[in-house]
Amino acid sequence: MNLIGLLSPELILLATGLLVLILDMAFHGKEGRREWLPFVAIAGLIVFLIAASFLWGTHTSLLSDMMAVDSFALFFKVVAGLSTLLVILASWDYFQGKTPYEGEFYGLLVLAALAITLAAASTDLIMVYLSMEFLSIGSYILVGYLREDPKSNEGAIKYFLYGAVASGIMLYGMSLVYGVTGTTNLAQIAQVFAAGKLTGDMLWLMLPALIMLLAGFGFKIALVPFHQWSPDAYEGAPTPVTAFLSVGPKAAGFAILMRVFLAAFPAFQLDWAAVLAAISMITMTLGNVVALKQTNIKRMLAYSSIAHAGYILIGFASVALDSPSLFNGVNGVLLYLLGYLFSNVGVFVAVIAFENATGSNQIPDYAGLIKRSPWLAGTLFVLLLSLTGIPATAGFLGKFFVFAAAINVQFYVLALVGIVNAAIAAFYYLNVARYMFFVPSQEESHVAIAPALAVALGIATFATLLIGLYPQPFIEFANQSVRLLGVF
Amino acid sequence: MQDNYGFLGLYLLIAIAFPFVALGVAYLLRPKRPAPVKSSTYECGLETIGETWVQFKAQYYLYALVFVVFDVETVFLYPWAVAYNRLGLFALVEALIFVGILVAGLAYAWRKGALRWM
Amino acid sequence: MSLPQILFLVVGVITLGAAVAVVTSRNVLHSAFLLALTFFGVAVLYVLLDTPYLAAAQVLVYIGAISVLIIFAIMLSRKVAAPDLVQRNSQWLLSLIVAVLLFGVLAYLTLQTAWPAAKQALGVDAIGGLGEAFVGTYALPFEVVSVVLLVALVGAIIIARER
Repeated sequence: MNLIGLLSPELILLATGLLVLILDMAFHGKEGRREWLPFVAIAGLIVFLIAASFLWGTHTSLLSDMMAVDSFALFFKVVAGLSTLLVILASWDYFQGKTPYEGEFYGLLVLAALAITLAAASTDLIMVYLSMEFLSIGSYILVGYLREDPKSNEGAIKYFLYGAVASGIMLYGMSLVYGVTGTTNLAQIAQVFAAGKLTGDMLWLMLPALIMLLAGFGFKIALVPFHQWSPDAYEGAPTPVTAFLSVGPKAAGFAILMRVFLAAFPAFQLDWAAVLAAISMITMTLGNVVALKQTNIKRMLAYSSIAHAGYILIGFASVALDSPSLFNGVNGVLLYLLGYLFSNVGVFVAVIAFENATGSNQIPDYAGLIKRSPWLAGTLFVLLLSLTGIPATAGFLGKFFVFAAAINVQFYVLALVGIVNAAIAAFYYLNVARYMFFVPSQEESHVAIAPALAVALGIATFATLLIGLYPQPFIEFANQSVRLLGVF
Repeated sequence: MQDNYGFLGLYLLIAIAFPFVALGVAYLLRPKRPAPVKSSTYECGLETIGETWVQFKAQYYLYALVFVVFDVETVFLYPWAVAYNRLGLFALVEALIFVGILVAGLAYAWRKGALRWM
Repeated sequence: MSLPQILFLVVGVITLGAAVAVVTSRNVLHSAFLLALTFFGVAVLYVLLDTPYLAAAQVLVYIGAISVLIIFAIMLSRKVAAPDLVQRNSQWLLSLIVAVLLFGVLAYLTLQTAWPAAKQALGVDAIGGLGEAFVGTYALPFEVVSVVLLVALVGAIIIARER
C-alpha cells in the first residue's frame, strides 16, 4: 500500500475537521444549515473507521519512522473514532443557547480524535510530544468552551497550568533521553540500551528521565499524583467534553505510555513496572475513597475515572508479553479500555440527558428516576453495574483480565488491592442506583430524552452488554491488537 | 561564527551608549534657566483627569494572538526557504500544505471578525 | 576562562536574576518586562552556544510576540499592582525542599554524564540543514505543527473574542 493509503485514516480525520470548520464559516449567519455540521462530523468519523479497518493486519512504519501502522495503533483509532462519535451524539442539544460557537465544537472534537490516533501511532519522541501537545491544546479549549460559565473557565485554567508544567517536565525528560542515547526514535533508543555500551552514570540518569516522562503521560491519564486538575476540569467542562476527556485523552495517555515504555525502555522494565504498580495502587485507592464522599455526579465520575485509570494500570504494571499465559497484561488494558469507553461515555450521556431535562447534577436529585424515565434509569443502572465490574457486563471482562495479569506475574498484593477497591467502588455506584430506585422524589414530571441522546445511550448500553455476554470476538480483537511494531 | 556576533555586541554597546552620550553632551552645552512651566508634564496640553490607566479593548488582544500564530509559522518556514534551492517539488508541496492549513485559520479569523478594527 | 565563557556566565546570571525578579515582583507589568529581559538573555545564551536559528526564533517568537501578548493581556486587566499580595502558600517550604533536591540530583547526574549526543557537531549550513530536515525526516511533525497552530488559533478566537 502506498503512503496515501496508509495515512488515509488520519487524512480523512484532518479533512473532516477542516471541512466542518470551513462549512461553519460558509454557513455564517445561516443557523438552519449549521445543524448539518454534526452529521458531517459523524459521516467523516464513519468513513474514518471504515478506512482504518482496511489497515487491519498491516505492519509497517511511515515517514522516516515517525509513526507506526500496526494493530496496536489501529485499536486506538477505533477507540478514538467510537468515543468521538458517541460524544458528538451526546452533545447534540447540549450547546443550544450556551455558546455561539457550536459548529467549531464538532471540528475541534474531530481534530482531537486525530490527535489521539497520532499519539497512539507515534514511534518517535518528537511525534509523541507533538501529538500530546496537540491533544492537550484541543482539550484546554474544549474544557473552557462555555466562556460565560466561571466553572468552565476555572477548569480550563487549572487544566492548562497543570498541563503546561507537566509537558515541560516531560520534554525535559525527553531531552535527557536524547542526550544519553543520541536519538529520538523509540526503537533506536532500545538498541542503544541493548548494546550495553553505556556506563553506570548514564543508566542512573535514566531513572529521573523515566519519572519525568511518566509525569507527562500520567497527567493525561490523571494518575495520582498527577491528577489534581481532573475533578475541577471534569466538573467545570461542558458535560459532553467531560465524557470525552474521561475516555479519549486517557486512552491516548495509556497508548503512549505503553508504546514508549515497551518500545524504548524494555531494559528498565523491572524499574518502571515497580513504580507503575505503586502508582496504580495509590491511584485506585485515592480515587475510590474520595469518590465515596461526592454529591455532584460529575465530580464523583471524575474521581471514579481516576480509580479506573488505576485498575487499567494494573494490567500494564503486570505486562509479560513473552508469557505463554492468555493474560499478558496489555490485552487486559485494551479490553478494559474498550469496555470502559462504552460504559463511561454511556453514563455521561445519561448524566447529560438528566442535566438537559432538570439542570441538575446532584446525586440526590436522581431520586425516583425509575418513575420519571424508566429507560434512562434502566440503562444508567446497567452502565453503573459495568463500571462496578459485575459479571455479564463489559466492565467485568476488563477487570478480570487485568487482575488475572497481576496474578500471572505474581503481583498478588496488586491484585488484592484492586479487588478490595472494586468492592469499595460498588458503594458509590450503587448509591446512585439506590436513589433512582428506592428513594421517592417530590418531582413526578417525566424526564424527556432527545433522540440523539437516546441513540447514544442505546449504543453504549448495547455494546456494554454485548462485550459482557459475548466476549470472544472482543478478546480476540484485543489479543491481535497487542502486536506493537518492533516489539511483539 | 562567534566573531560575527562580536560586531553585533559592539553595535549593541554603541546603541546603548549613544543616548547617554547625546544627553550628556546636551547637558554640558545647554543654558540652564529653570522655570516651573518647563517641569510640568505637558508644556502644551491638558493635565490628565482621574486614572491614567485605561483598559484596553480585548480586540487588540486578538490581533496579537493571530500575530503570534503567524509569527511561529514564519519561524518554521524560514529554514525551508533557506534550503529551497536544494529541495525538490515535493518539499514545495509540503510547504504549501503547511501554509494552506494555516490559511484556513486566517480565513476563520477573518470570517469571525477577529481582524475587524474596533 | 575564555571570553565566551565569561560572557556566558555573566548573561546566565543576568537571565536567572531577571527570572527570579519575574516571580517576586508585585507589579505584573514589571514582571512582564522582566520576562522579556529573561527571554533576551536566553537568546544570547543560544548565540553563545552557536545555535543562531534558535536565537532568532527566540527573539521573533518570545520577545516579539509572546511578551507583547502578555503585556496586552495585562493592559486588559484592571489591577496591575498588588502590594499586599501574598506570594506564597502554606506549602512553600515543602516545594522548596523538593525543588532543591530535584535540582541537586539533576545537576549531579548532568555533571557526571559524558553526553554522547553532544559530540555530534553542527554543520556549516545548520539552518539549511534544518530546512531539509523539516521537509525530509521530520515531514510528519512539520505538517502536524500547522494543524496544532490552526487549532490554537481557532480556540484562541473562541475563548478570547468579545461578545
